[in-house]
Amino acid sequence: MVTRHFPLVIILVIVGLALLLPLFLPWTYDQIDWNAVRAPAFSSSHILGTDELGRDRLARLASGTQITLMVAMAAALVSLLVGIAWGATAGWVGGRVDEAMMRFVDGLYALPFMFIVILLMVVFGRSILLVFIGIGLVEWLTMARVVRGQVMSLKERPFILAAEAAGTPPLMIVIRHILPNIAGVALAYLMLTVPQVVMVESFLSFLGLGVQEPLTSLGILVKEGADDMDMAPLGLLLPGGLLVVILVCLTIEGERLRDHFS
Amino acid sequence: MSLYSLRNLSIDIAGKPLVENVSLDVEPGKCTAIIGASGSGKSLTCLTPFGLTPGVTSGEIILDGVNLTRADRYQMRQARSQHTGFVFQQPMTALTPHLSVGSQLQEAARQAGASRLSRHELAQMLARVGLSRTDERLDQFPHRLSGGERQRVMIAAAIAHQPKLLVADEPTSALDASLRAEIMDLLDELRAERNLGLLLVSHDLASVARHADQLVVMEKGRVVETGPAASLIAKPREDYTKRLIAAIPRLEEAAPTLPAVGDMLLTTRDVCIVFPRPGWRRGNIRAVSDVSIEVREGEALAIVGGSGSGKSTLGRAIAGIGAMTSGEIRWRNEILPGRRKRTREKYGHIQPVFQDPIASLNPQWKVIDIIAEPLRNLRPEFSKAERARKAKAVLQEVDLSEDMLGRSPTSLSGGQAQRIAIARAIIAKPELLVLDEATSALDALVGAEILRLLSRLQRENRLSLIFITHDIASARRVCHRIAVLEEGRIVETGAMEDVIASPQQEITQKLIAAS
Repeated sequence: MVTRHFPLVIILVIVGLALLLPLFLPWTYDQIDWNAVRAPAFSSSHILGTDELGRDRLARLASGTQITLMVAMAAALVSLLVGIAWGATAGWVGGRVDEAMMRFVDGLYALPFMFIVILLMVVFGRSILLVFIGIGLVEWLTMARVVRGQVMSLKERPFILAAEAAGTPPLMIVIRHILPNIAGVALAYLMLTVPQVVMVESFLSFLGLGVQEPLTSLGILVKEGADDMDMAPLGLLLPGGLLVVILVCLTIEGERLRDHFS
Repeated sequence: MSLYSLRNLSIDIAGKPLVENVSLDVEPGKCTAIIGASGSGKSLTCLTPFGLTPGVTSGEIILDGVNLTRADRYQMRQARSQHTGFVFQQPMTALTPHLSVGSQLQEAARQAGASRLSRHELAQMLARVGLSRTDERLDQFPHRLSGGERQRVMIAAAIAHQPKLLVADEPTSALDASLRAEIMDLLDELRAERNLGLLLVSHDLASVARHADQLVVMEKGRVVETGPAASLIAKPREDYTKRLIAAIPRLEEAAPTLPAVGDMLLTTRDVCIVFPRPGWRRGNIRAVSDVSIEVREGEALAIVGGSGSGKSTLGRAIAGIGAMTSGEIRWRNEILPGRRKRTREKYGHIQPVFQDPIASLNPQWKVIDIIAEPLRNLRPEFSKAERARKAKAVLQEVDLSEDMLGRSPTSLSGGQAQRIAIARAIIAKPELLVLDEATSALDALVGAEILRLLSRLQRENRLSLIFITHDIASARRVCHRIAVLEEGRIVETGAMEDVIASPQQEITQKLIAAS
């Protein structure tokens, strides 16, 4: 079990550390230690050293991971809810409604969404909420397509017809018969959405459009690290490496789930 | 000497013994048929010696004097390409979709090292298996052909390289009933003409009995009985074979005594069902045209036809789970509204049972919830405890024990699942069941048990039935009357015995011949 789901174990360890570490560290993510600016690793109470403002790297890393994963989970949930509602409606109703709804999805796919998210940020100012919404709105499209396909293939199965003949109202058929049967596939795609969202969030933050200082995210840490990488390579390598590990692990688990259910 | 022999063949997959000690012989120009229910190991027995399954064999395999038992991949391929041809159950999946019929045949013909064949020779091969317009067919792709035509192409490809042994794994099971006899006749002719040995695998004793010389009856990976076909069917020695033969509905058996019929229950008048053509093509498909039928209390009506005749579409419209374009359905002389307009109470009159029993149960639910679902909607006055009590009672009615209630559909056998599906259909006390090929996907023995269950329900609960099938012989065990459907129209209707005694239409005669 542990060896088979090694990636999942790593994710859980990272999440656990990100949540628990700040409770035990003597420094918070925004606290400046004037006596230890650019401290190297393992100096005094800063295990991983400090950045160019004298903030504890480990504390910032934990807090950045927290924010990144939070944004990712929230955006993935938004995409799950919108995607399931949209896809299930289109697939169940079928016909013209389905055509119209899915062409709308195709249209959105064709838009350069990163550009729109950036515009949103510029126009409405930067806030974590907007990052959630913006990313969630991009990511539900694939979910909607997957769910629609599943619903369409389930819809003509005899057990759905039997439920109809048993007098089960359409809404109840969708809720009680169809959704439980697509939950597995939806969960798998949710797992695959999370790393995508992590990427988008990090990218936005890297551009300076995501989370705002002194709050931090892995993307911001990578950006700060990149600005200062010739002086303190650790500042880039730590958040960058963590990001890679998280993305790889989530993707492996997500693909495994998807293969299991399809 | 035999063309092909198996001596004490055993087959393991991943260390699990699935077939034990099977011995059989195929003589040149003769047919040996392996008969068994699903899971009896018959397909394994037939394909594993040629390396076509992951199974590991022990025992002797001798093809045309060569011992294949310890053959390496190269020798195995030789044996397959030079001496053996294969025909599989699903002609669509067995033909390569992107190759035209001509290239398919060319490839098959050249596998034994022959030189390139001319177009004329390929066309002759198609003509030999009974296809018309052969020149045109050579350029067609498999999806343009009908199921029967595909199976003929498969046979042409299987014998293109002049093999000595033809291995046919359920060659007619996926085909329409009316086509089965034709394909079996074709195999007979080819066998006589080319002195071809035929190893046939089938779950359907009735359809192969006439064509086989030797029968091998298998059950649970072992041979139950083997012998010349005629004597084995006339005088089976083993109990299993006896039951198997008795289970097969035959038209020669005595007509059953059916319960008396009462008042008019269901009438349909000029029912038409039209679908828009799929894809971008314009126009409509008429699935059902002007169908008028009637069913009385306690009466069973057989709706019989080939695949694509519209019989399932009609059944679904009657049960209120499929579209209806025009016409009317009346229930005790009151109009019965169509899909999505029917009230719960009216859904309660008619319940469907489907062909694939496993697919008709929600895999995520427990048996108790599946059975009780109609009660939940159609009899909302019952409490949860009452529903559970009724579910237990109805399980007894379909001869299942109470411990089924907590199980999940994926752990059920086909026969158990179909009983559960019937239990769900009858729990809310409907007066009419629409059975859509309810016994077709089941093994002969299990199918016969389901038929017995249905005729008991018919007698004891005064249940009316609409029995949709392609198999007149099994319909005859429960049905009073028959309506034959062809291309969406009723072409012949009448009392079951009369129609069987003197069928008027060609399609009816074909369906009767196939039963």
